[in-house]
Amino acid sequence: MSYTINTAFKKELTKYGAGNWNECFHCGNCTAICPLTEDGFLFPRKSIRSIQLGLDEKITANIDPWLCYYCGECSETCPRDANPGELMMTLRRYLTAAYDWTGLARKFYTSKIWEFGVMVIFFLIIITLFALFLPPSSQIFSNPAAFINAEGGVMINQMVDGISGEQFMKIIHYGDWVMAAIVAILLVSNIFSMFYKVILRDKSIQIPVTAYFTEFWQLIYNFLVQPKFSKCENKNYWSGHLFLMTGYTIMFIVIVTMLPLFQIEEIKPWYHWQRLLGYYATFGIMYFLIVAAIGRIKKSNIKFKFSHPSDWLFIVMLGLTTISGILVHIFRITGLPLLTYVTYVLHLAILVPMIIIEVPFSKWSHLAYRPFAAYFERLKKAAIRYQLKNEKLITT
Amino acid sequence: MEDKRIGVYICWCGTNIAKTVDVEKVAEEMTGQEHVVISKSYQYMCSDPGQEMIVNDIKEHQLNRIVIAACSPRIHELTFRKMMEKAGLNPYLLEMANIREQVSWVHSDREFATQKAIELVKGAIQKVQFHEALDKRYVNVNEATLVVGGGIAGMTAALNIADAGKQVFLIEQSDLLGGQAAFIDSLFPNMEHASDMIRERIKQIEEHSKIEVFLNTKIEKISGFIGNFETTLNHGIDRKLEFGNIVLATGMKSFIPDDIEEYSYGKLPDVITSVEFEKMLLKGQIKKQNGSEPNHIAIIHCVGSRNKDYHEYCSRTCCSTALKYIHQISTLMPEASIYDIYADMRSFGKGCEELYTSAAKNNVVFLMFDQKNDLPVVRENKGKEAQLIIEFNEKLSGEDVRVPADMVILMVAMEAQEDAKSTSQIFGISVDKNKFYMEKHPKLDPVATTTDGIYVVGGCQSPKGVIDSISQARAATARILASIAQKTVEIEVTTATVTEEICCGCQTCISVCPYSAISFLEDKSVSHVNEVLCKGCGTCASACPTGAIHSKHFSDFQILSQIHGVLSKN
Repeated sequence: MSYTINTAFKKELTKYGAGNWNECFHCGNCTAICPLTEDGFLFPRKSIRSIQLGLDEKITANIDPWLCYYCGECSETCPRDANPGELMMTLRRYLTAAYDWTGLARKFYTSKIWEFGVMVIFFLIIITLFALFLPPSSQIFSNPAAFINAEGGVMINQMVDGISGEQFMKIIHYGDWVMAAIVAILLVSNIFSMFYKVILRDKSIQIPVTAYFTEFWQLIYNFLVQPKFSKCENKNYWSGHLFLMTGYTIMFIVIVTMLPLFQIEEIKPWYHWQRLLGYYATFGIMYFLIVAAIGRIKKSNIKFKFSHPSDWLFIVMLGLTTISGILVHIFRITGLPLLTYVTYVLHLAILVPMIIIEVPFSKWSHLAYRPFAAYFERLKKAAIRYQLKNEKLITT
Repeated sequence: MEDKRIGVYICWCGTNIAKTVDVEKVAEEMTGQEHVVISKSYQYMCSDPGQEMIVNDIKEHQLNRIVIAACSPRIHELTFRKMMEKAGLNPYLLEMANIREQVSWVHSDREFATQKAIELVKGAIQKVQFHEALDKRYVNVNEATLVVGGGIAGMTAALNIADAGKQVFLIEQSDLLGGQAAFIDSLFPNMEHASDMIRERIKQIEEHSKIEVFLNTKIEKISGFIGNFETTLNHGIDRKLEFGNIVLATGMKSFIPDDIEEYSYGKLPDVITSVEFEKMLLKGQIKKQNGSEPNHIAIIHCVGSRNKDYHEYCSRTCCSTALKYIHQISTLMPEASIYDIYADMRSFGKGCEELYTSAAKNNVVFLMFDQKNDLPVVRENKGKEAQLIIEFNEKLSGEDVRVPADMVILMVAMEAQEDAKSTSQIFGISVDKNKFYMEKHPKLDPVATTTDGIYVVGGCQSPKGVIDSISQARAATARILASIAQKTVEIEVTTATVTEEICCGCQTCISVCPYSAISFLEDKSVSHVNEVLCKGCGTCASACPTGAIHSKHFSDFQILSQIHGVLSKN
């Protein structure tokens, strides 16, 4: 298979991040220092070469960027300041857009107006929906004490007139399901697009069908533990990321599947498992956010030196979601119904656009692409093993 | 006859000799030889302590003949002759035995090598006994200089010498001064206009009272020797020139890539050489054959260079020139895609790595090909916007790639002038295997030749750019001005002489002398050697049927003694 050189590719890629790709003269230091380098998987030099030559078809079939967790060792070691780590980051953004058949991911990554505009529109839609269909009860202003329960906290499902607490909770719950379904459909279709580009389009290898099953555990394992990340030199990054990942996953599962358990009138004592789980998740997310925000402001670490607008939007949106969530909790347990209502609406108005944009179209899609990349990598290796075995059989 | 007291010194040359030759045994063997007063071995005989040791021995043991067994006399004979003078001995009472190039470097059997070294040293001991003291001789230096070639190197040399107030004859084969640089738009790495530099120099030369320019002129014959050369120019009326030194700056030419099938030069439109592209730059218009502007320009490096089938050497200037093109194309046509297809990027030298770094910031892709096994192939790409396609295996990615192009620039090699060989014969200097003029020593004496008084500068010595050419020109003129300042120059003393009583007047010697140093004295009917012209090559002495010619320092008797020494059993 021969590839056509494309000089325009570099220009396109520049929109997704920073990189001095022409600086690289292929000394191979990055490959040597990277703990993930294995036979045939040459981090990250091979990807840089594909960028330099503009081999876009090869790049979209390349899973390497997803296997990299950006510890930054390669960029520290690079004698030409070509910043290979940031190149891999840039490629992840590019690939997210390349997998996305709707074309929205490309719009969001390459245009601030698009990304910010869509966020604002969704924010306003949520606020409008609440104002029109679920406005606060007038008693919230005249008789706030009516919303206080036995523990002195706000009865969160009673703040809207005309519907029962049960109904209010269900509306929100079904809303969550709708959001999760939209996000899931988009993400799954994009994963299929990735599967096509990485596995199906590659005619050079034939994946043995059994491998799809025998290697499936890799998907789960990589999602839960990020074993590739743990190979990086600095283990703090891995543990910090795991803290965020578990926190975020717990929050997401709890909100989408177990809302009836949580959004209740009663305030559980602080040591109740539900509250402890919530605190763990909140701390996990906040810890990571603070480290990332300070890092990006101070540019203290090589991995934080360059910030794409999407990096900041991610931090800001997740931060606002978390802070508004914390405020809901504080106002609720201290018995302030009006503030609870306002922060609750704001919380949803920030959360919904964040999930809808970030998960299928932007940074958060990596929660799916990374484990799938690890899975596909194992499939390719299985195919190579299979091929070698067959060749041996033929020759002997 | 004085009592002969010989000192023998065996050099280890570090491990160069000592690892294959048992130097201590050689020294020991010589102790018993007739006339040998002292025999020693030492790590580095050419070092200061080594020389001091010999000088002290000469004084202490009243030595009057010295044998040194070490490297080739080409390397250190002069060193040791100077040492002899320092010790108060005539420098010609020294003989060197070459036990490095002729023994330790070419043999691996230690015992055999040691035996061979012993024999060679014995020969030297026998020969040195019959050495005669010879006296240094000097000739006056003519202050004028002949500069051959009116390119940037020749013009620089001419101006440098003339500015010191000495006469220069500047010979140019074509009808204008300027050379190759006159066909260059701007020069890497700083992109100054070549024409500015050339024009200024031509003007200075034309106005200079000390420079006489001869255009459309070729040198056909040179006679004489350092300090006293002469030639006659066939310039309408014959004009005889006399000069003391010669600067050869005859330049180089560009390779024509007809023979490289892969590139289809001359067969496909818009496949051009760097020389042709340079002309487009001079005109300020980069145009395809059909008159439109190219959008995809490919540059292929090492065309005819670093390739056994064409020229094995690196042409030195092409990589930086290609980088210069990237800058120029990007300035003239910012939207054009540039593909730089190289074998190795050699942008060495001051400012040139920076040229690479800044070139890489343009709309350019650098692609590496394998010069040995896989030259890029230029093909027609019918019906496409870019009518050419270049296919090859890109080395750094390992992928087979296709480069669309509508103009291909071949960075052609630089090669020696067509007449380099015959010119070298006219001037009595050597050429290397690529027909570039050979310098005396690549590091220690890079602009001189083995013929005293003749210097080689610029592209005729090896492919090089303007910076190096000018440096060489200035280096050569420094050497020439120094010899002019000394007014005299030392000449060869190991010349031939004719014993007139024995000469039969057959004139065989006259026909074989390569330096035209022998004339026939009609009145006496004998041959006569002009000792200033004679280089002491010995051709006449071996051709003389009567043995009337005596080669100083290489007399029959000396050589026979040496053979006797080598073959002697004890």
